[in-house]
Amino acid sequence: MGVVALAGAVGLQSAPQLPSLPSGVPATSGGAPSVDPAAVLRQYCITCHNDQRKTAGLLLDRANLQDVAESAEVWEKVVRKLHDGSMPPQGLPRPNRQTADALAAWLSISLDRAAAAHPNPGRTPALHRLNRAEYTNAIHDLLAMDVSSALLPPDDSGYGFDNIADVLSVSPMLTERYLSAALKISRLAVGDPAILPVTETFAVNKYLRQDDRLNESLPFASRGGLAIRYYFPVDGDYVVKIFFDRTYDGRIRGLSDAHLLEVRVNGERVSQTTVGTSADAPVARGRGSRNVDVDGMEVRIAAKAGPAVIGISFVRSVAEPEGMLRPPYPVTSYEYAGDATLPAGIGRVELRGPYDVKGAGNSPSRQRIFVCKPDQGAGLRAEGSRTAAQGLGLRAEGSRTAAAQGAGPRAAGADEACAKRILSTLARRAYRRPVTDADLQPLLAFYHQGAGNSERSGARPEEPRKRSEPSGAKGPPRVRFDGGIEAALRRILVSPDFLFRTEHDPATPAAGRAYRISDLDLASRLSFFIWSSIPDDQLLDLATRGQLRKPGVLEQQVRRMFADVRSRSLVSNFAGQWLYLRNVNLVSPDPVVFPEFDENLRQAFQTETDLFLDSQLRGDRSVSELLTADYTFVNERLARHYGIPNVYGSHFRRVTPADARRNGLLGKGSILTLTSYANRTSPVLRGKWLLENILGAPPPPPPPNVPALTENQAGSTPRSVRERLEQHRANPVCASCHKIMDPLGFALENFDAIGRWRAASEAGTPIDASGVLVDGTSVDGPASLRQALLAHREDFVRTVAEKLLTYALGRGVEYYDQPAVRQIMSKAAKDDYRWSALVLSIVQSAPFQMRLSSAPPVPDNSAVRPSAR
Amino acid sequence: MIVTKKHLPRRTFLRGVGATLALPLLDGMVPAFAAVGASAATPARRFTVAYVPNGIQMEKWTPAAEGTAFELPPTLQPLAPFRDHVMVVTGLTNRPAFSVTGEGTGDHVRAAATFLTGVHPKKTEGPDIRAGVSMDQIAARVLGKDTQLSSLELCLDSNELIGACEAGYSCAYANTLSWRNPTTPLPMENQPRAVFERLFGDSDNTTQAARLARIQDDRSVLDSLVAEVTRLQKRLAPPDRGKLTQYLDAIRDIERRIQKAEEQSAIALPVMERPSGGIPSTFAEHARMMFDLQVLAYQCDLTRVTTFLMSREVSPRTYTEIGIPDPHHGLSHHQNNPASMAKLAKINTFHVDQLAYFLGKLKATPDGDGSLLDHVTILYGCGISNSNEHTHDNLPILVIGGETKTGRHVKVAKDTPLTNLQLTLLNTLGVPMDGLGDSTGQLEFVSGV
Repeated sequence: MGVVALAGAVGLQSAPQLPSLPSGVPATSGGAPSVDPAAVLRQYCITCHNDQRKTAGLLLDRANLQDVAESAEVWEKVVRKLHDGSMPPQGLPRPNRQTADALAAWLSISLDRAAAAHPNPGRTPALHRLNRAEYTNAIHDLLAMDVSSALLPPDDSGYGFDNIADVLSVSPMLTERYLSAALKISRLAVGDPAILPVTETFAVNKYLRQDDRLNESLPFASRGGLAIRYYFPVDGDYVVKIFFDRTYDGRIRGLSDAHLLEVRVNGERVSQTTVGTSADAPVARGRGSRNVDVDGMEVRIAAKAGPAVIGISFVRSVAEPEGMLRPPYPVTSYEYAGDATLPAGIGRVELRGPYDVKGAGNSPSRQRIFVCKPDQGAGLRAEGSRTAAQGLGLRAEGSRTAAAQGAGPRAAGADEACAKRILSTLARRAYRRPVTDADLQPLLAFYHQGAGNSERSGARPEEPRKRSEPSGAKGPPRVRFDGGIEAALRRILVSPDFLFRTEHDPATPAAGRAYRISDLDLASRLSFFIWSSIPDDQLLDLATRGQLRKPGVLEQQVRRMFADVRSRSLVSNFAGQWLYLRNVNLVSPDPVVFPEFDENLRQAFQTETDLFLDSQLRGDRSVSELLTADYTFVNERLARHYGIPNVYGSHFRRVTPADARRNGLLGKGSILTLTSYANRTSPVLRGKWLLENILGAPPPPPPPNVPALTENQAGSTPRSVRERLEQHRANPVCASCHKIMDPLGFALENFDAIGRWRAASEAGTPIDASGVLVDGTSVDGPASLRQALLAHREDFVRTVAEKLLTYALGRGVEYYDQPAVRQIMSKAAKDDYRWSALVLSIVQSAPFQMRLSSAPPVPDNSAVRPSAR
Repeated sequence: MIVTKKHLPRRTFLRGVGATLALPLLDGMVPAFAAVGASAATPARRFTVAYVPNGIQMEKWTPAAEGTAFELPPTLQPLAPFRDHVMVVTGLTNRPAFSVTGEGTGDHVRAAATFLTGVHPKKTEGPDIRAGVSMDQIAARVLGKDTQLSSLELCLDSNELIGACEAGYSCAYANTLSWRNPTTPLPMENQPRAVFERLFGDSDNTTQAARLARIQDDRSVLDSLVAEVTRLQKRLAPPDRGKLTQYLDAIRDIERRIQKAEEQSAIALPVMERPSGGIPSTFAEHARMMFDLQVLAYQCDLTRVTTFLMSREVSPRTYTEIGIPDPHHGLSHHQNNPASMAKLAKINTFHVDQLAYFLGKLKATPDGDGSLLDHVTILYGCGISNSNEHTHDNLPILVIGGETKTGRHVKVAKDTPLTNLQLTLLNTLGVPMDGLGDSTGQLEFVSGV
């Protein structure tokens, strides 16, 4: 287009007279405001930022105003400083708002035009390792199986997210975990009948009160206990071993009363027992609550292979205890820890099995994997009747020999054809692309090896594999076939094609050029962005047929994916990290100051925020409603904490409280707690959180050797945080940032460090939530703060857009992405900044659709030259 | 259906080389790998680093007297039974942790990132992290030649805290002490179960035949992976190959390990318990379980180097189990408030308590002509002395066990680099080195005089 290649291409030299840009020129090509940028810069900026003074190393007199693209990095910086009003600094001559805005607009429009003509989509790294969340989601979508994230170590994060390609490294430890996870997963998914019993332990947090229904998966009239999501690998027996909650000195709680204990599998009761003193359970009589005979009681259950929820809970007694109600002890108190008269609870549960294996069963994983059955006659259904399998064992022995001789009889050929079909279906999904023969060869080699046909495999292993398990060479053919699939599946799960997203430059790359990524790469970018997982078949089909970018198709796919339940990962992975919500798990409020804080409240915080964000994001509200929405989700415990009346029961429901205290994110206990210290609120932390995550203007780190805030000394008159911070701000070095952070945080002072509403500070003085924000707005509490933030709606949306783009690309957002950010915002603005509009415009943006090809290799470096010897 | 209780011993003993090692915290009976140790004739040299964060109350740590006649100060009292195995070294300086002009805060992160590297880390939150190879890894290259794992990196904190890394520094700097090379920090493991499985395998069947079968399975997977990764690598532009090179290196590491495992597969197997999943609920339980696992790893000679980040810098952990509800980092900025300082000293002592537990275990485990304590050199300490002011001089450092001249308090000359001590330790361990980070020479007193 060359729109900005204007006349007077002299460039801004250090010479005193700057070429004055004809202000009308940019306006001719549409929409740019009338401003003389060179004059404004000369008047307000270049006095400091010039070749001589070099203030902040920024030489605006050297930057090219004729061709802004040449100095894009500098100009983007200028745009940002003009937007947030931080430059020129207070005290020096400043342009009025209009002029500053006009200059910013002129610059950004010029930059956007240059970018449109020569897009710089950046270069996402060629290899992007799946992170832990993506890996477990991929396993779920590939094999219909939930695995614990503890199979893999957590990932390092960068730019606030743990899906940043450059930061996701590979260590020997991680590789070992991949190998072992692949082994465990393939064994569970296929359902190896020779699997040995294992023990898993599930502990109940000791700060969790077991006085109410604790989980939506537990029966309505239940009390305490836990619901375990477990994957039964095969049809067989499993043993649930139950250990009860104890006092600190080892007494089991509540055995002086009778409690009805239930074990349920997928809601169906499999056992009911009375524990504690009662006519039919005399074990505890006479020995009081020290009786431990019931501890470690075992319940054996016969289970079908596949995922299940095992609920262990007490039946809630209908009668209320007589006598005076005792005020509840804090869960962290010695009284609580030592009270054996509390109702019985579950301490931990051990799950062991399988025993007495009946067969591989017909789990959802098997249904997903075995898209065909080896041609072994009707007797061999998936469950595999033992006699049939044994009978056919002989036949298969024979055919294996025959196969080795190259005769290739039907059975073996059909086996291999079916294996091929199973493995290519799995590999296509796992590798996220059509598979080739070269992909299948190693998998088939593992199939043969696992099935005990290794003499046919022609693959690496020199000696025939000696599986110690019956699923090896000596087993019946059905089991051997499964063993082969299991071995090949394991190999798929450690393949670099599965573990890494790989983006290849086109075959004839012009170095450093922007190109559109392939449809298949785009499909992966889409699914990892919106689902944190692999593409599904529909997406893969479209990409394979090259139809993903057909008019309307991409948008339709984005909308479909956004509506799909898998987009919950935007809540858990994107919002959870953006807003630091994952930290709710790790906060530990001071039990002396906040004895009310227990595990139930922590979990309620999480559930509330999850439900709220889900309703906003997946409900496709406008982004700014995150700050203003007048509803929230509470159960009885949380409602009590918030002072919301008339909410009873453990389940969460949507409520619209009478007052606006809990509106938006700023009223949520989770965020208020994670931005507090353990024993008091911190206006600084809250202000910093707002600046970083809502306004997108993170404060600079504190200068070295600043004194920390003085804590209240024991014995002395306590002072409020406000008094102490005012003392801190007396230091001008501190004040420069704190005058920005603190007023934001002070406006939330009515919320204590665990998010309760309060009228008086820890010093006993009335809460003073007033303050003046750096832009001059007076605020005096959450409501006016919300209004003040809404006045910066653009900043908030830009922050969200940049964070979402970082998350979508798995790399940091750079200056050359700013034109895309502006475009994303203006597109989304047309749809009131709805979440789907943001997601869609990110998907359509240049950095998401395109990529720079690799820069030319550095010359004179023989080490990196392609091997020609 | 209710089934009556099945007997399963809750406490078993490890029987290896005549040792009886109780593992009260480990649960879930499985037979597992063997204990061998190096042959009795030539006990192996081993090296452990244990790090504690957020500074130390030095007035409760520093012995009054120098030389062999020193008395253990309050914080080091838990080490009384091992006094003669302990050398208190005071006065060392970690200059690479100082901020350079314009760099600003970040003293905690720099303390951790420099502690074993002696190299000033690059201030960045992005992927371009850079420090130096850490001395535990230098030791591991030599000491780990004959063991399945060249080193074991452990921690207790979850590294999942978001937005909590110190201003301007990547979390990677705070989450580990170990650097394989200047750009590759090694992740640390905090789940006992995962450490156990790393040491002894995740197989539930540990008969020799099953293990050999597993080794062959692993080997064929790895072989075929090497072929595939190499092929994939060729299709990438040279600058893009880094990550696959990491993957290949990791695979080769594991191949080497499998090779060792196969060579050592004939070893007789004692019965041992495997930790249940999850993180123990108290700091002490967790720390002791991790120390147990290190003793096991040494006893079975699966590795000769362990690095243990007992808590990471800027850790806000609260120690309610010893009556301290305040977050550790907040407390460490004590403003000279006596109450805060007393609490901090209590945490310092609590950490040393756990160290004493480890020493007790080592001492109770025979190795060669003595105990493991005689053949493990331990470096314990922190990269910050006065936490209130973030000072990196006069560091709290202990050298314990091994072939060092312990049973003394040594005060070094002002500005003596911490790396001088580490350089000396490496040479003592039979890892000859001329320099390390900002080192200026060896400290003769460590093994001589």
